[in-house]
Amino acid sequence: MKLSPFDYLVPDSVDAAIEMLAQYGEDGRLLAGGQSLLPMMAFRLAAPATLIDLNRLTELTHISAESDAIRVGAMVRERAAERSGALLTGVPLLARALPLIGHEAIRTRGTIGGSLSHCDPASELPAVAVAVAATMTARSQARGERVIAAEDFFVTHYTNALEADELLTHVAFPLTDPGTGVAFEEMARRHGDFGMVGVAILLHIAVGTIDHARVVLTGVADGPFRSEAAEHVLIGADPGSDCFAAAANAAREAIDPPSDLHASAAYRREVAGILVRRGLEHALADALGHE
Amino acid sequence: MTSAVKRYVGTAVNRVEDLRILTGTGRYVDDVLPTGTLHAAFVRSQVAHGRIVKVDVEGARGAQGVIAVFTGQEIEDLVLGPGAHGLGSDSLMPSPQPAYTVLCTDKVRLVGDPIVMIVAESRHLAEDACELVQVDIDQLPAVATAAAALDPSSPLIFDDLAENVIKRAAPVKFGDVEKVFASADRVISAHIDMHRHQNVPMEGRGIVADFDPSTGDLTVTTGTRRLHLVRTILAERLGLDPARVHVRAGDIGGAFGSKFASSREELSVALASKVLGRPVKWTEDRSENLLFSGQAREESWDVEAAVSNEGDILGLRVAMIRDSGAYPGVGPLLDRLFERILPGPYKIQAYSFESISVITNKATYIAYRAPWAGETFLRERMFDLAARELGLEPLQVRMRNVVKRDEPPFDMITGQSLVSVTNRESLERITELVDFAEFRRLQTQARAEGRLVGVGVATYVEASPGPRPKDGTPLGAEQAWIRLDADGTVVLTTGQMPHGQSIQTALSQIVADEMGVTLEQVRVEYGDTDTAPAGATGGSRSASFAGGAALVASRELRQNVLNAAAEILEASPEDLDIVRGMVGVKGVPGSAISLAQLVQSAAPATSSDAESRFESVINYTGGEGGWSSGTHCAIVEIDAETGATKVNRWIVVDDCGVVINPAVVNGQIRGAVAQAIGAVLLEHSVYDDEGQFLTGSFMDYLLPTADDIPEIEIHHVESVLLDADVNFRGIGEGGMVVGPSALCGAIEDALSHLGVRVYEQYLPPTRILELMGTIEPERRP
Repeated sequence: MKLSPFDYLVPDSVDAAIEMLAQYGEDGRLLAGGQSLLPMMAFRLAAPATLIDLNRLTELTHISAESDAIRVGAMVRERAAERSGALLTGVPLLARALPLIGHEAIRTRGTIGGSLSHCDPASELPAVAVAVAATMTARSQARGERVIAAEDFFVTHYTNALEADELLTHVAFPLTDPGTGVAFEEMARRHGDFGMVGVAILLHIAVGTIDHARVVLTGVADGPFRSEAAEHVLIGADPGSDCFAAAANAAREAIDPPSDLHASAAYRREVAGILVRRGLEHALADALGHE
Repeated sequence: MTSAVKRYVGTAVNRVEDLRILTGTGRYVDDVLPTGTLHAAFVRSQVAHGRIVKVDVEGARGAQGVIAVFTGQEIEDLVLGPGAHGLGSDSLMPSPQPAYTVLCTDKVRLVGDPIVMIVAESRHLAEDACELVQVDIDQLPAVATAAAALDPSSPLIFDDLAENVIKRAAPVKFGDVEKVFASADRVISAHIDMHRHQNVPMEGRGIVADFDPSTGDLTVTTGTRRLHLVRTILAERLGLDPARVHVRAGDIGGAFGSKFASSREELSVALASKVLGRPVKWTEDRSENLLFSGQAREESWDVEAAVSNEGDILGLRVAMIRDSGAYPGVGPLLDRLFERILPGPYKIQAYSFESISVITNKATYIAYRAPWAGETFLRERMFDLAARELGLEPLQVRMRNVVKRDEPPFDMITGQSLVSVTNRESLERITELVDFAEFRRLQTQARAEGRLVGVGVATYVEASPGPRPKDGTPLGAEQAWIRLDADGTVVLTTGQMPHGQSIQTALSQIVADEMGVTLEQVRVEYGDTDTAPAGATGGSRSASFAGGAALVASRELRQNVLNAAAEILEASPEDLDIVRGMVGVKGVPGSAISLAQLVQSAAPATSSDAESRFESVINYTGGEGGWSSGTHCAIVEIDAETGATKVNRWIVVDDCGVVINPAVVNGQIRGAVAQAIGAVLLEHSVYDDEGQFLTGSFMDYLLPTADDIPEIEIHHVESVLLDADVNFRGIGEGGMVVGPSALCGAIEDALSHLGVRVYEQYLPPTRILELMGTIEPERRP
C-alpha cells in the first residue's frame, strides 16, 4: 500500500495553481484534504503523474457572509465549517449534514471543495448543495471565472463538471429563508461511514400549506438525486403524516438504487422512503420551532 | 508449604506493559530496522484459480532500487522441501496432504496467492517493481463455495487430491441416537449457517531476517506465537543448524489465533536474507492482511434435535460442512474438540456428529478466537428454536436441561467430565440480574407501540484447560525458568509469547505473591529462542499453564531461598518468611536481610553449584484443571423500519476460576464481546462467484467501533476449585464462544412474534428487513 511515484507541486496562490493545471491538464490531480484521493493512491487505484497540493492556498480558506449567501472557500476544512456560526445560522442544513461526514479527524483534514468535487454519490455535501441551490465558482487560466449551478456540477459517479484546467475556488450557499425547516437523515452501517442512503430536506410552510420543499437523496443514484416526485406531492399540500407518507412513496417509486455489500437495492429503496418521511417530520418540527 | 499473603493476585494492579504500549514506545516487527535493511514485496494473483503459463520478471529485475527478484521456481530451487513441521499449523493436518510450493510455480489457488518476491531498497520501490512483473495465467473456473467444492464437475484445486475435500471426519455416535429420536415427542430440524469473517489484529504479520554470512547465524524478528517452531521450520527449509537460528519477538499487536508459526511469505523473506547476506524485511500491509493472512468460521450444519413437549432436549444429530479455504489450515483439526464438547453443560442423552472440510479458492481457514465456537452457536440456536416451537421461555429451557453438579449425569454424553461446571449458577445469576417477567411485560408494551425489543441468553463451557482426564493423563506441559539475580530481582522466563494478554503483569502478580516480593522486584522475560523455553500462547491456556508454572516455580525458588537464609540467619526454614523482598525470622523484624544480600552472602558459603541454588526449571503439567464457563445475556432494540440493531445491555456472568487481575480479565471479556457484536452486525469476508474478494479494505470489512459497543456488565460466579494450588482458567475466548449466540438469540426474540426464526449469524440491517418480510431477499455472495 505504497503510493506510485508522482511529481509533487505546491502552488502558493490560486494563480500559480491554475497555471500548473493549464500546464498538466489531465495528468495533474489536485490534492485538497486527501481523505479520498490518498487512500486511492495507496491502493494504486489512482496513480496521477503529478499531484498539485492546494494546502497552501490560504486565499481559499475563508468563510464570508454576503447579502444573500455565505461564500465558502474551497479549502475550508469541514471541521472549520462545522464551527462557523455564520455558516450554520445562515445555512442550517449544513449544521445537520456536516457532523455526519466521517469522524472529527477526517473532517479536520477534509475540505468543502474536495468533498464536493469528489462526487461520491453517498456523500452528504453534494446533496446539501443541490438542496439549497448552491453555486460553484471555478477558475481557469484560459477562461477566467465561471459559475456552475449545483444541479449541473455533479455529473455522475466521481465526475464533476470542471474542465481539466479548472480549479474550484469557492462555493456560495444561499441563505436559507427564515422559517424554513431543515433535516438531514442518514442510515449508515456505523457512525461515520458513508450512508447507505440519506436525504436532505428543506420545508417551508406559509399559512398552513407547504410552499417550498426540497428532497435530495444520497446513495440511490449516480449523484445527489433530487426527488421532484416527492417535492411535487408536498408543494401545496397540508403538512402532516398523510402527505409525508405520500411523498415517501413517491420518492421510493422514482429511484432505481444500486446494490452493494452494505445494502441491497430493495433496502435502499425501502429505507429511502423511511428517511424521507422522518426527515419531513423533523423538518416540520424544525419549521414550527421557528414560529 | 507456607505461602505469603496474597497482595497482588485478585487485584487490578496497573499493567507492567502499559508504559511502553500506551506511550507508543512498544517494539513491533516494523520498528526493527537493522542497518542496510532491504524490503520485500510480493506479486500476488489477481485471479482465484488458474494455471501459470508464464512469469516474466525481466522488467522488474532492471527496475530502480531492485536488488533481487525471486520467482516461485527460483525459491523452490533454493529451499529444502517441507519437513515434519511444514509451516506450522499445516503440519498438523491429516493426510493425504496436498503438495504446494512456497510461492506459486504452477497454479494459483486464490486471489492474493504470492507468485514472485521482489527485494528492493525500499518498500515503495519493491511495489513499483511488482507492477512490472508480467504473469500469464490460464484461468480455471473458481470453486467459490462449499457446494461448488462438492460438485464433481468442479475442477480440482490440488491435482494430487482426488476431490476438493481436505478431510472427512468419520461419523460418531454417543448414546442410543435412533431410540432417542424415535421416542421423542418431536424432532426439530434446521440448517444453520455461520458466515466467513476473520482475525483483524492491529499489527499484521511481519518478519525481519538478518543472515550473517561470516558466522552463518540467521537472526529473525517476527510477530508469531511459537518462536521455537519458527526456528525449527527455518532451519529445516533453509538447511541451517537450528542452533544458528535465533528467533525473537518484541511486542505483538494481536493475533486472535493467527500468526501460529511461519508462513510462505516469511519463509521467502528469510531465504532472501540468506541468499543476499543482508537484512530483509516484510511488513504485511492491511490489504495483504485482509486478503491473505487467513479467514475463519465459514461452517454450516444440518441439525436435528429430539425434544419433549416439556422442553427436554434429548438428542442432537449434527452434520457439518466447513469451507476450509485454499491451503491446509487448522479447520479440520477442530473436529475432535467440536465433536466432544458440542453437548455442552446439558443433559443430552444421545448425539451424533459428522463433518466434512472442503477446499475452495478462498483464504485459508485459520483459528480465530474460539475457533470451535460453532458448536456453541448451533447448540444454543437449537435451544432457542426449540423453545419457540414449544412456546417456552428460552432461558427456562436452558435451566431445565442444564446439569446440576450434585445430580447425574456427571459427564457429557461424549464422556467429558462435567465436574466443576457452573452453568446452572451463571444462568441463575442472570435471572437475578435481569427481570425476565418485567422484560416480557415491557416487550409486549413495546410491540404494541411498534417497537422491537428482545433478550437473548446463551451459555457455554470451554475446556481451558478443562478437568484432568479420569485416566490421569496430564492436561499439558509448560516450562518456566526462574532465578534470583544478584540484585535481588526475581526473573521468571516463560515460553509464552504474549500478544495483548497482559501476561507479563499476570505472571508478575503470581510470582510476587508466592515469593513475598513486591511487583517491582519481579521481571518476566520471554520472546527469544536463545534465552526462553519453548512454548506458545494460544488456546486460552496462559493463565492455567504459565500461571501454574509460575506458581510452582516461585514456590520452589522460595523454598531454596528460605533454606539458604536459614543457614545465614541460623534458624529453621520453617521459622522464616519473605516479606516485601526481605527474608527474616517471623516476628523478629530486625533479623531480615534483603534477597540481594542473601544471594551475595549465600553464594560463596555454599556448594560449587551456588548459582543453581537460586535457579529452577519447572515443568508444569496442568494440575487438576477445571472448566471455564459462563452465560451471556444481550438486550437489543431493532429499528422496525430500518432494521438497525442497537445493543442496549450486555450482561456477562463468567467463571474463569481464580481471577489473577480483574482489569485484565474484564478487558479480555470486553474485547471478545466486541468481536462477537462485530461478527453478528458488521463483519463479513465476502467473495463473489468468481472468487474475487470483495472486502479487502476497512471501507468494506467493517469492524465495531466504541460507538457500537454498549457498557458490558461483568459478574463472576464462585468457582468450584479442583486443584490444591492452581485454579486459574482461561477467559480470552469465552465472549467469542457465546457472544454471537446471545446476540442472535436477542434479535430473534425481538422479531419472534412476526414469525421470524434465525438460522444464520450475520444479521446486518438489510438482512433484518428481509427476515421481517419488509423487502424481498436478494441473492448475495
